[in-house]
Amino acid sequence: MHTSISRVAAVAAMTAAGALVLAGCAATAPNTPNGAEQGGGGNGTLVVDASFDLATADPNREYETTGSIVAKALYETLLTFEGDDVTEPVAGLADFEMSEDDRVLTLTMESGHTFSDGSEVTVDDAVFSLQRVQGIAGNPSFLLEGVTVEKTSDTTLTLTSETPNPALPFILPNPALSVVNQEVVEENGGSADASDAAEDFLNGTSAGSGPYILDSYDANAEVVFTANPEYSGDAPAYERVVLRNVPGETQQLNVQAGESQIALDLNPDQAAGLDEDAVTLISGASRYVIFLFLNQSEGVSPVTSNPDFLRAVKLGIDYDSIVDLAGEGSVRPGGFIPSLFNGALTADQGNQQDVEAAKEALAASGYAGEEVQLNFPNDITVQGLSLQSVAESVQAQLAEIGVNVSLAPAPVATELDAYRNGTEQIGLWYWGPDFPDPSNYLAFTPGELVGLRAGWTADADPAVKSLADAARAATGDERAAAYEELQVAQNESGPFIPLLQPAQNVATAKSVTSVALNPVWTIDLGATK
Amino acid sequence: MTAAMPVLRRRRFTTPRALRTPLAIAAIAVIAFWLVVIVLAPVLSPAGPLSQAFDRLQPPSAEHWFGTDQVGRDVLSRVLHGARVSVPIALMLVVASMLIGSVLGAVAGYFGRVLDEVIMRVADLVFAFPTIILAMVIAASLGPSLGNAVIAILVVSWPPYARVTRSLVLSARQTEYVVAGRLLGNGPFTSLTKDVLPNIAAPVVVLATLDVGTAILLLSGLSFLGLGAVPPTPEWGAMVGDGVQQFASWWIAAAPGLSIMTVVLAFNVLGDVLRDTLDPRTADAVKGGTL
Amino acid sequence: MLLLVGVTLVTFVLTNLVPADPVQASLGEQAAANPEIVEAFRERAGLDQPLPVQYVTFLGNLVQGDLGTSQQTRQAVSAELGRAVPATIELALGAIVVSAILGVGLGMIAALKRRSAVDQIIRLVSTIGISIPSFWLALIVYYVFFFQLRLFPGSGRLSAILTPPPTVTGLYTVDSLIAGDMVAFSDALAHLVLPASVLALYTIGLLTRFARSAVLEVLDQDYVRTARAKGLPGRAVLLGYVLRGSLVPIITVMGIAFGSLLSGTVLVENVFSWNGIGQYSYNAATRLDLPAIMGVGLVVGVVYILLNLLVDVLYGVIDPRVRVA
Repeated sequence: MHTSISRVAAVAAMTAAGALVLAGCAATAPNTPNGAEQGGGGNGTLVVDASFDLATADPNREYETTGSIVAKALYETLLTFEGDDVTEPVAGLADFEMSEDDRVLTLTMESGHTFSDGSEVTVDDAVFSLQRVQGIAGNPSFLLEGVTVEKTSDTTLTLTSETPNPALPFILPNPALSVVNQEVVEENGGSADASDAAEDFLNGTSAGSGPYILDSYDANAEVVFTANPEYSGDAPAYERVVLRNVPGETQQLNVQAGESQIALDLNPDQAAGLDEDAVTLISGASRYVIFLFLNQSEGVSPVTSNPDFLRAVKLGIDYDSIVDLAGEGSVRPGGFIPSLFNGALTADQGNQQDVEAAKEALAASGYAGEEVQLNFPNDITVQGLSLQSVAESVQAQLAEIGVNVSLAPAPVATELDAYRNGTEQIGLWYWGPDFPDPSNYLAFTPGELVGLRAGWTADADPAVKSLADAARAATGDERAAAYEELQVAQNESGPFIPLLQPAQNVATAKSVTSVALNPVWTIDLGATK
Repeated sequence: MTAAMPVLRRRRFTTPRALRTPLAIAAIAVIAFWLVVIVLAPVLSPAGPLSQAFDRLQPPSAEHWFGTDQVGRDVLSRVLHGARVSVPIALMLVVASMLIGSVLGAVAGYFGRVLDEVIMRVADLVFAFPTIILAMVIAASLGPSLGNAVIAILVVSWPPYARVTRSLVLSARQTEYVVAGRLLGNGPFTSLTKDVLPNIAAPVVVLATLDVGTAILLLSGLSFLGLGAVPPTPEWGAMVGDGVQQFASWWIAAAPGLSIMTVVLAFNVLGDVLRDTLDPRTADAVKGGTL
Repeated sequence: MLLLVGVTLVTFVLTNLVPADPVQASLGEQAAANPEIVEAFRERAGLDQPLPVQYVTFLGNLVQGDLGTSQQTRQAVSAELGRAVPATIELALGAIVVSAILGVGLGMIAALKRRSAVDQIIRLVSTIGISIPSFWLALIVYYVFFFQLRLFPGSGRLSAILTPPPTVTGLYTVDSLIAGDMVAFSDALAHLVLPASVLALYTIGLLTRFARSAVLEVLDQDYVRTARAKGLPGRAVLLGYVLRGSLVPIITVMGIAFGSLLSGTVLVENVFSWNGIGQYSYNAATRLDLPAIMGVGLVVGVVYILLNLLVDVLYGVIDPRVRVA
């Protein structure tokens, strides 16, 4: 009896095990011949893995890294950049001319660009789109703050700024300023004011003139593109592109296993672990600057606002070891402007470690071992690099000179509140430029956006303040020198301690011959071959 | 399932024979091992748990048995110190949720009516959520820290105790000696504490032993997601989380994961053994079983 | 019903306890500094209303089947859940089927061979099953079976080169069968194997333990002894009496197991980039996306209630003495 009874149970167990094995056999079949052979053939599928921060596929509302990738693939902008050169804007849907006083930008539409429904891109579409960005009061609206958009003829429009705005041609290539099909968008509830209701529609259907059209959209999982038959430029190399939300560590495995062709967010350790026979690695300094700030408001912390304490911290940090932590391709910036832009400082022009001087400064500050809190977001990565490792290093280095730092990580959604309200004692954050011009970094000066977060009020540091005003007013070749001087002064007395520019590591399958990377929109899918 | 729990008679167990099986001895040995580690971690560790004195991401070697992590800390030292975080907190958690749950359950079962209704509906509500989802929402709302993770786990872990205690109290309340005690003039509190609670202690203790493992898994799971222990605390789940970032450096996650497993396994085996010893249903089955 | 309202109230209160402001979570660096844009955002998301009004509005919309709009993605929560829920159901069903067969089978063997070496081994293995941290096991399985051995595909539910089958149930395996797309079917099934196995290990352990004690108990019942004494053949006793008799506790625990599977998915989906309810709730919780969190709470509450109902109905089918109230 023993045997017969248990045999029934055993058979049941065997069946289940068998099912698993069968499924396993089935698995190997479709896994092998992926894109590797189809890629680059002209009609294959390109699979791109990225860590999503996607919020919308409405180009005039998006202002996220992933959103820019999506908008760039679906839409075109009035001006653009050639390849990865962001030092010189070039004609996109329009050509441009800036007035002498840097206040009036005249754009002349180029003919021959068509939307995905076959209609031509007109000056009306352009005016509507820019006004829509302003009117709907969304994340990118500030890009055109103080700018008046006007149609001046059937082929021209002007952008008039209240104050001289030499950065405007550098702002226009931003994918958030994409031109949408006015007729289609208006038919679906769109308008150029706060009543706009076209976002839902644009999350399902694209209305642009870019190389691709939207096939499907899921902000949490993946976005699928198919080639736009009406695209006026060179047809994209891939008929279909799948952009998937995958964490960095999985991206590394996928691209090596041939499951994807491009991995966008590898951290240096993941990049170093790649098998270079299977994939190509492209790495270089990214546009992001990771920085530390010490709050200058007495109310927030009497410790961090002490100038001697601030100096001690600046002298106590081992800048080189932090850059080592971030791995190959990372850069140690000399100031808050990243190395890619005009006016950047080199590492030897920045602050340097000096443990003895740090200890002296600490003693001079009267610091008595009080605990200071270091806040940072722990659920996001900057180019695949988690801020946690940086925070742990800073904590250990400051402990060497006798500063007692406690770490306080939180999800970015929670922590942003404290950061933006300027209530963090020490903050560890990063800044990605809104447009590739040093004027964007004036935010890091007294009384400005990021300055205030560090409790650095407009009258807190008159010397730096006047240098900032000088930099803002400088024109032509004087600009670089003005921004360099500003940063040297900030390094001396300001609350910001630039730590590093992490590397951007992109791995591609061997079948991908050319990846169109760009600091503004990360990757141009339409130009990737 | 809890409704099927039988009434416990007053019983006395002398030498728990089941505690002498090889499996039980192994489980006790593992727990003893970790207790020793908790006490002696600073002595046993080759380096400080926070010291970043070594080269980063070195594979296991004679010098670093479990390798080094992403900022150059000795993984062995962190694993040993990690025992001081996970195990005591889990034990404390279980004791706390056992106390909270049992008291609420006993109150609900003994006094019945409105109190019963309210307490058990709230328990249902908590049950309706997958534990980790609720714990995650709480931890995310309060902000990540070990303390908040403990609060989150407490919120989700008391209902089983409440349910078991309530059903046991309900049936114990009817037994002759409790009724007799009340007739002799014992007030509700005396009756509850002197006559009823001692009888339900055994099953609750079994449940608690089995729950230590669950608590460790929950705590490390939250830390893994970045909602528990704050770096650089050497918490095992958080260490596995560190390992996720560095797939090629498998050793970062290997040792802490194994540590979680051995502790949880030991407590689960011990819980099983205790149940076999204390739970009359199984005990009876062992006595009469011949098949 | 009361339970559901309770669930929404609890989530609502919880998420509003948060010291952080969802506006900050959704707006960019420059936009959050502009009061006009912040105001416009609040108005759009209905955040300018007092809390009780927000809650009543939510309930009112809920009655009409509207779960609101995610603050983070600006998409209808119901639409997003419509994608996430089937993904998790598919994963959980895959795991529960495997673990039901293996768990009950192993549990029976262990019970029948009680105190033998086989029993000891099965008990140890099942205890190991419930003791392994799933997030750790998921990592190991992913590394070994996908990365090193290339036996199974990695992240996601379907290879990216394939187009998902037309949606009927939302389960890729079922839908591809309905569409007759065998390539998609085997691909979806292959993607299912690793995450489902990781999830299943815990439930196998759980079910084995319960099945063993349930069967042990039944074996001891008088009617089983009688049947054996009467000389009924072993298989008939096993299927007719033992299995049937132990089904009630086994089904109860399967209900519990399914619940624990939903918990397990949070950690496992994270590793396998499986865009189900686990990933969705993690994103919602960490981004303070209130409507999304409420949606998750509701869906999970409904699943729990349905599950209990199903268990009750099954009781009635198995044991006619139990009547569904």
